[in-house]
Amino acid sequence: MRRLAIGLTLVGLVAAGCGSGPGSGAAPPAPQVAAPAADRTTTSYDVARSTPQEDSVYPNVGDPGVDALHYALDLGWDPRHQELTATETLLFRSTATADHVQLDLARQLDVSHVWLDGRAVPFTHPGKDLVVDTPVTEGDRHVLQLIYSGTPEPVTAPTDRGDFQTTGWTTTADGSVWTMQEPYGAYSWYAVNDQPSDKALYDLTIRSPKGMVGISNGVLRSRRTVGDHTVTQWRLDSPAASYLITIAIGHYTRTRDTGPHGLPITYWTPTGRPGVLRKVRYAPRAVAYLEGLVGRYPFDTLGILVVPGNSGMETQTMVTLGANRYTLSRDVVVHEIAHQWYGDAVTPDDWSDLWMSEGMTTYLAEANWTGSHGSQDRTAILHRWSGFVAGMRTAYGAPAHYADQSFGQGNVYYIPALMWDTIRQRLGDATFWRLAAAWPRAHRYTSQDRASLAAWWSKQSGQDLKPLFDAWLTGSTEPTWKAR
Amino acid sequence: MTREALTPDDVDELARRAQGGDRDALEELLAAVRPRCLNVCRGVLPYTPDAEDACQDALISIANKIGSWGRQGRFTTWMHVVAVNSARTTYRRMRNQAVSSDYLPLEKPDPRTTSVIAGTRLDLLEAMETIERDHPQFVEPLILRDVYGMSYEDIAQQIGAPLGTIKAQIHHGRKLARPLLRGEE
Repeated sequence: MRRLAIGLTLVGLVAAGCGSGPGSGAAPPAPQVAAPAADRTTTSYDVARSTPQEDSVYPNVGDPGVDALHYALDLGWDPRHQELTATETLLFRSTATADHVQLDLARQLDVSHVWLDGRAVPFTHPGKDLVVDTPVTEGDRHVLQLIYSGTPEPVTAPTDRGDFQTTGWTTTADGSVWTMQEPYGAYSWYAVNDQPSDKALYDLTIRSPKGMVGISNGVLRSRRTVGDHTVTQWRLDSPAASYLITIAIGHYTRTRDTGPHGLPITYWTPTGRPGVLRKVRYAPRAVAYLEGLVGRYPFDTLGILVVPGNSGMETQTMVTLGANRYTLSRDVVVHEIAHQWYGDAVTPDDWSDLWMSEGMTTYLAEANWTGSHGSQDRTAILHRWSGFVAGMRTAYGAPAHYADQSFGQGNVYYIPALMWDTIRQRLGDATFWRLAAAWPRAHRYTSQDRASLAAWWSKQSGQDLKPLFDAWLTGSTEPTWKAR
Repeated sequence: MTREALTPDDVDELARRAQGGDRDALEELLAAVRPRCLNVCRGVLPYTPDAEDACQDALISIANKIGSWGRQGRFTTWMHVVAVNSARTTYRRMRNQAVSSDYLPLEKPDPRTTSVIAGTRLDLLEAMETIERDHPQFVEPLILRDVYGMSYEDIAQQIGAPLGTIKAQIHHGRKLARPLLRGEE
């Protein structure tokens, strides 16, 4: 996010009139912060240190001044009134000396109090930006706490795709909740640096009426019944970009399974839908297949959560799939699990490099897996794609220069998949697959861009691949893919 | 994220089945192209409720005219042109309905928040109406290029004219349009 000028901030304070802190009456004491977040000298969150940057495609979302390390979200959901009541505790590192801290938070959420390091601080909430007016120094760590509530609404997605028009918190007619939030939309339910260069750890507590259950990424630490409510606690201990966070609240059944090397796998499927469960049980074989291509699964657990959407998301360690025939197909299950290596373990740091996630996963799943499990082999599949990709480059732009209102169109899937196959042909299978497995392992938990990727592949292979990457990813004419 | 289920080949296949009278294929096709159609209509009518109305009209138009898709190009390219023309018709209808109102338009209303009926600034469309009187052949290529950003190649294929002709028509059209446009804010 471009930082607001001081003058604007002051005008906003007067006009919005929602400032809290000294002068607006006695502020209540800040909620207790659990250790180790309270100890800001701790090193336990260093794994979540990032180099946040302003997005080149969607600069109005995210702020490079904040490096979020850990989000603790305590969420209460009232499905009858569709009201979310939340307490958020964010441990962050200031990456710049400034007179304010800025996060993304939807206007539908009404913030009542904000504290910085236990002290009530003034803030404004113009539009979707939460601006906390307190000076911060580069390199310092702070604990920001806020209390907010409201009826969350999904955010308009910057896409002309046919299968989704909004992202973020989505409430269904019966008060159930689900989310898919790429490229942004996490800010529809919590205050966040909603840009993929900033990874953080998460702890969620979700309180819902008995009968419903709250699900999120990582490991379910506890599930209790408290009065009329179900309370679940989730912990994600690998750093994740905000678009890879998922939350669902509804009527779900849990089924446990085991993948390769004893990998714990959990399915969360709509209660009373055994057909859905049968389809997603392909997960262990999908992991085994992918491990054969790109090495050991990069996280400690895996889950699949099935929601009422029409797309599928590679949400970290807990894949979120829509419940339709296509999104429950094996191709899609393999594709989203492949993202755990490409997209989640290593993440694009800017939305212009969405192709880094989608190109390789399409190559792994729709070209290689489908090629060895379907009616057409890999060469036939790639040949079919090569017949229509030029039209996609024309309609939506080059994969790394796509039109900003055409997020996630076919150009970022099929074109880079053909590019990876071209690179495989040039380097030979042995070198190609060795490097395809090494890249996510060598860059685990980080966000990267296409310059670092092209340099790394060139160095490792001993060949200058930069002109090839440039031609496929940013050129205006379609390079030729040839079957060899 | 999952890619969209339908590839361009799948969309063309659906359109062929819809042409053959398959109602389910037509339904599926219209659902698949609706977001692109809405984007096209937003180019003509930036106020969302107007664009939604125009999109509805355009989808009906696409369903009615689907027999005239020639199958030599992509269905989506053909659909684009039908949607553009339908949106312009909707715009004209809305503007004519607005004439009887004594609403005094603001100096420069924001087209994203103001209905065309309340006097939206749509100078480019007005310029096209003017150019159309003497040079109707310039209008379609110009709109496809400058409003919708279609490539010269796609426009040439769609209109069925040589690439050089299309480029010249767009060049001449731009020269005529320039004095008719209000200055950029």
